[in-house]
Amino acid sequence: MSEFDAIVVGAGPAGSSAAIRMANKKLNVLLVERADPPGSKNVSGGILWGNALAEIIPEWEKDIPLERLITHKGTTFLTKDSSISIDFRSTKFLENHSGYSVLRARMDNALANSARKAGAMVVTGVTVDRVAKEEGKVVGVEQDGEIITSDAVILAEGANPRVAIDSGLRKPIGDQDVAIGVKQIIRLPENTINERFNLKGSEGFAGEYVLSYLEGEAEAGGFLYTNKDTISIGAVISSSKLREDGQTHSYDIMESFVQHPHIAPLLEGGKLEEYSAHLVCEGGIDSVPRIYGDGYLIAGDAAGFSFSNGLMIQGMNYAITSGIAAADTVIEAKERGNFSSDSLASYERKLEDSYVLKDLKNFRNIDKVTWSRVTHRAIPKIAENLLYSMYHETGRPKKHLMQMILESSRDSGMSKSQLILESYRMMRRM
Amino acid sequence: MIKQVPDAEEIFIDPVKFTLNRASARGIINPADENALELALQIKDKTGMELVVITMGPPQAETALIECMGRGADRGILITDRVFAAADTYATSLTLAAAVKKIGDFNLVVAGESTTDSGTGHVGPGVAQFLDIDQVTYVTSAYVDKENVHCERDLEDAVEVVETPMPVLLTVLMNSNIPRHSTLRKKIDAIRKGIEKWDHDTLNLPPDWVGLKGSPTIVGALRIPQERKREGKLITLDDIPEMVKELYEKGVIGKEEEL
Amino acid sequence: MEIEEKLSVLNYKTDKSYAHITVNLDICETCPDRFCTFGCPAKCYTVIDNRLNFKYEDCVECGTCFFACSHGSVKWTNPKGGHGVKYKFG
Repeated sequence: MSEFDAIVVGAGPAGSSAAIRMANKKLNVLLVERADPPGSKNVSGGILWGNALAEIIPEWEKDIPLERLITHKGTTFLTKDSSISIDFRSTKFLENHSGYSVLRARMDNALANSARKAGAMVVTGVTVDRVAKEEGKVVGVEQDGEIITSDAVILAEGANPRVAIDSGLRKPIGDQDVAIGVKQIIRLPENTINERFNLKGSEGFAGEYVLSYLEGEAEAGGFLYTNKDTISIGAVISSSKLREDGQTHSYDIMESFVQHPHIAPLLEGGKLEEYSAHLVCEGGIDSVPRIYGDGYLIAGDAAGFSFSNGLMIQGMNYAITSGIAAADTVIEAKERGNFSSDSLASYERKLEDSYVLKDLKNFRNIDKVTWSRVTHRAIPKIAENLLYSMYHETGRPKKHLMQMILESSRDSGMSKSQLILESYRMMRRM
Repeated sequence: MIKQVPDAEEIFIDPVKFTLNRASARGIINPADENALELALQIKDKTGMELVVITMGPPQAETALIECMGRGADRGILITDRVFAAADTYATSLTLAAAVKKIGDFNLVVAGESTTDSGTGHVGPGVAQFLDIDQVTYVTSAYVDKENVHCERDLEDAVEVVETPMPVLLTVLMNSNIPRHSTLRKKIDAIRKGIEKWDHDTLNLPPDWVGLKGSPTIVGALRIPQERKREGKLITLDDIPEMVKELYEKGVIGKEEEL
Repeated sequence: MEIEEKLSVLNYKTDKSYAHITVNLDICETCPDRFCTFGCPAKCYTVIDNRLNFKYEDCVECGTCFFACSHGSVKWTNPKGGHGVKYKFG
């Protein structure tokens, strides 16, 4: 007889969602979080898209601390001199709430409290060492030499999943699996934020950037989100490209972004409130480990459930959905009284039926678009040349668009055929 | 005895109003109290004594008690009641002493030397007074030998070794030891066991002895020291007599009898 | 702004009894790339007089050095007992 029906490791969106769902179904649940209070180790480089939380917290828009409703979305190429954006704002977002900016220290603490209220036992400030195994089956967790038993263990420990790695349940993470996220929180008065980003009330802006001004091999994306009275700004740096480059520092990439001539004015006069760093799952479906086995399931970032195509970065919604799916799987397994790998296999089927694995499979190899010379150097260069020659009045006769495109692409560093081929591949992958 | 205090790292001074902004600060166990608990746990490990942790504060202070039990304390008692609110160090000491008495026979009362949110260092000695027992302050380490407790006190320029019979109250200096971690097993057990909540009825003290009513302290005024400009001057060995003269004239240094 | 200034706004509860990351300096001695010194966003890894220097106290627990080091020098664990960095915003 196990002490708990389920032990969840990690009180982020995945773990707390799983704990809430199981506790609501009267399972005896232990949620263990190494941070004290929950959320104080967590960092996000994303927006909370969708309303996956509604399934477990009906009044989530009231109960969970949210910053701003995203009504304005931007995707921008930053070159040394220029900023080229696709800018989308829509009043439709006011009716159909699509995403919120969030601060994870606050949000995750509230989620853990919801888990406690739902009836889960929440232990904070304790780091689980590894899962406990008996004859190859996971039977609980081990901490400080003692074993706490449970029928199922859900590992939801985030992008740097120590327990899963140290327990041999997934291979160590590598360059191909993760990017390095660096972030700053800058405090500005609410009305200054509204003025600078042309927002009303609690409307928010979410911008993704391609930092194509970087030199050498380094490639990085940027993000800028408005919170109530702070701005979240960060860089997501390709690990493999940074290694290839071998002379650029991750810190300097973050610095160059906040100091960029088109970004710095947005932050001017702001006070640095926090500097943080976190890994970002970037490997797509090929980085997803085996997500279930005898007595255990892996959810959220720990399972590599995160997605970015440059226009959208998603992770928290996958975490919540996968956490709920893992919980439902354990609930069913308890009804069957069977926590074997076969019994827990329905977890993967649930995710295959949901957008989580569908997205990851549809966008296999998207990393070859998001991290490529074409996206990070050639396209921005071409666009900059093209737009500059279009808008810059020289007093000479105008050229045709096609001619300008061809001329612009000439000094992008890629041959014409290479460009056509790469563009075709890109369209297919996106 | 412990206290949950706002994390000093998260308190900032409002640049306009010059007041302490505690609203954004999260609660932690007062650092010196963590050392007091560790010292008590070390004594418990050697002697097998029962260790009871008491705190007075709002209901949120429960997490601090669970943490202490997670490290090895046997019981956690939260003294919480609206009428205890806004107590000064006198009323707090009186209330805590009443709680200690209610627990029953005891050998040692261990508390942090002072808290990071008020820093008076009154409460430990105050409790000893109300309990009418001896006290040893500024303790850095201690062990129990039969009926006596051996303590080392840090007197800044000396270490004093004190041996005294029990019962006695010790106040423990911050950073005098390295607090142990709580364990998952002990925290689960602590949550299951729960803490005990004692209110005004439990302690049965006259209402005008506790809380704001029982607090004789009057805050006369609050002053924020003016920031002084520091001046730097590079001197050589030959300039020393001149420098001493200048410092004396500016009133920075004086003759011994004047100081 | 220097890294020290950025880290100074953070709240750390430093564990004096346990370094959650350890490095084997014998391995670092002969390391050809020292990618840790470029990867770590908190600049916990620096080279002083051609020797690698590491301080766990400034770590923001991202995990970069764990995979950045391909020579087996970095041993990475999570801090224990709620120690380490305590983000207020995240």
